[in-house]
Amino acid sequence: MTLQKDPENNETRSLHALADFTGRRALEIGCGEGRLTWRYARSTRLTVGIDPDQDSLRAAMQDRPADLLGKAFFARLSALHLPFQKETFDIAVLAWSL
Amino acid sequence: MVHALNEIYRVLAPAGTLIDLRPLMEGSPVEVVSEGQTYPAGVVNQLPEDIANDEAANQSIEKAAGQGWFTLERSDFFPFSYYWDSPDEMQAYVEEQWADFVTIHESVWKNARSFWAAAGTKGRLRVQVKMMIARWIVVKGD
Repeated sequence: MTLQKDPENNETRSLHALADFTGRRALEIGCGEGRLTWRYARSTRLTVGIDPDQDSLRAAMQDRPADLLGKAFFARLSALHLPFQKETFDIAVLAWSL
Repeated sequence: MVHALNEIYRVLAPAGTLIDLRPLMEGSPVEVVSEGQTYPAGVVNQLPEDIANDEAANQSIEKAAGQGWFTLERSDFFPFSYYWDSPDEMQAYVEEQWADFVTIHESVWKNARSFWAAAGTKGRLRVQVKMMIARWIVVKGD
């Protein structure tokens, strides 16, 4: 299948127009396979992507670029119970997930 | 959903940012594009259950704002396009990925197949989804 998603990069442009990720600690809820994560994680201090779907997370971890190995992390979690201390993150992204 | 927003509020720092990014599928145009030309085949119809989910999401974020957790700073819309090389590929994707959200009327498929066949090898199918993006700022006291 030769599906292309947003080759015009409208999503990336809009995301960066509304949010400055530079040096931030980011939480992405509904990260899936990391398609959106790769568009901003490089500029963050830390990125944590969560998703309830194990297969998607496995794909995200397999596809994670080498330069994000120590910066972008993934976990199978629900937003209903976030095992993080309060005020851990500077920015949260509800990625097609609310 | 409100409970999830409460959790997100808890883990966000004061003056932190919440980005709400989501598709608004209803009425998304189905088109065949070829060599700069666009041939409209029809639109996607969102299922009532998914429309209800959208409304519930809106209500949740409004409720969270009503609680004083977040304040809306800016929102915008933009198009997000999906492209397939053939109607069969598009149909397989829609059936696998979108069956819980949308339906596409047979007349739309018929139009799309007809336009795609006429366009020759350069024709592609496109669904252009309207996306909503909003920036909310975390409000926390001392």
